[in-house]
Amino acid sequence: MGFLDSLLGKTKLPEARTEKLFAISTAAVTLEANVGLKPGGEAAICFKPMESSFYDSARAEIEDLLRISARETGTDYRLQKDDYGYLWIVLKDKDFDDLVTNIQMIAQTLMEHGFGTQLLCAVYRFVGESAVYWIYNFKQGAYYPFVPKGDKQRDNAREFRLKALMEKEMPVEKEVERWYPMWAMPI
Amino acid sequence: MILLGVVYLAFLAVLWYLNAGALVTIIFIGGFMFLQYFYSDRMVLWSMGAKVVSESEAPELHEMITRLCAIADLPKPKIAIVRTSVPNAFATGRNQKNAVVAVTSGIMQQLNRSELEAVLAHELTHVKNRDAMVLTIASFLSTLTFYLVQYLPFFEGGGSRRDKNSGGSIIIVWLVSIVVYAVSYLLLMALSRYREFAADRGSAVITGQPSNLASALMKISGVMPRIPTEDLRKVEGANAFFIIPAVSKSSIFNLFSTHPSLEARLAALERIERELEA
Repeated sequence: MGFLDSLLGKTKLPEARTEKLFAISTAAVTLEANVGLKPGGEAAICFKPMESSFYDSARAEIEDLLRISARETGTDYRLQKDDYGYLWIVLKDKDFDDLVTNIQMIAQTLMEHGFGTQLLCAVYRFVGESAVYWIYNFKQGAYYPFVPKGDKQRDNAREFRLKALMEKEMPVEKEVERWYPMWAMPI
Repeated sequence: MILLGVVYLAFLAVLWYLNAGALVTIIFIGGFMFLQYFYSDRMVLWSMGAKVVSESEAPELHEMITRLCAIADLPKPKIAIVRTSVPNAFATGRNQKNAVVAVTSGIMQQLNRSELEAVLAHELTHVKNRDAMVLTIASFLSTLTFYLVQYLPFFEGGGSRRDKNSGGSIIIVWLVSIVVYAVSYLLLMALSRYREFAADRGSAVITGQPSNLASALMKISGVMPRIPTEDLRKVEGANAFFIIPAVSKSSIFNLFSTHPSLEARLAALERIERELEA
């Protein structure tokens, strides 16, 4: 948001940035080889639905695309609304690259219809000693680790370690203030 | 410690005023450093209000340090506790046999076991590297240079022929010695920061887990609370998400500080982390 916009009270949401979204694809190899984290076979994209007919058509298109994709790559998908009113598209596929491609496809479609600002995040689940999530923040165009531990607690030390290990491989959010957790995710 | 410095400088000023010879001044500086060197542990403990605790008073702390010392091949130091909620820890003492490692009660409450262990390993590395001695000698040398400049013969006003009435040259001598002092002070701070990095590295090697020290540093410095626990969807609505200004990082103040910035220390620990994993 520019200074003038703030002055005039014009709220503008920043556009989504998808250019770094693909970075998880190569990072997954390192995660498995160096840290022992395997892809958990699930990924999700989370966005705020809008009340608009344009949105309905975008959603219909996404569902069409997902159906095609499901046939071609065998990716399962489901749509789910959460308590905050956000819509989740949860994808299930053993093949990690298929997950990445589909997430990219959904993000692209939403952006083409002008709903890029509504994109919140994409989440990839990995499994090791415990579940580890890499959350892609569309506003920052960077990933950050999220390791939940018990009841709304998180393992900061492990998250920090993951950041240290993966910083070279993928864009990791530098400001820890932005490492917002996502509790009770559908994946 | 500041108080000590003031007393020390006052003494030097008196000597200067009395026009004492170079030798007397150097002997005085040397003597003072000698005292500081031999009694530093007691002085520091006294000024911080630290109380040496026995094994029965703090069994867990003693056990942790005993094990770390075994790994680091160090004689076990005395252990002291400062009753304050401010999280901190320090090591002092002129050599490995006379070392004291002190922690505050605050740090013991705030850190978990492995984080406290990492901090203790950091302090033990200071002992192992003889940092108290290194810094005492370094500051002795820097003070010595400060005085030597004033006695150097290439200024007419310098040396024992110094005439208090020939104002101009004295001012030049003073300016030069102040510049020299400033430079050596900055070097001293740089040395101290370097020793801190070395101690961080030592802690990482002794514990084998750099992330513990990193999370301890984050906790003590208040970074840990900076990692949010509020859900992204909650804050997103309030737009708080993207308007938080970037934390400004000033580098000029770093020149004057004895410890490196947290960012630099965390970055160094990250590098060690990668080395260990590789």
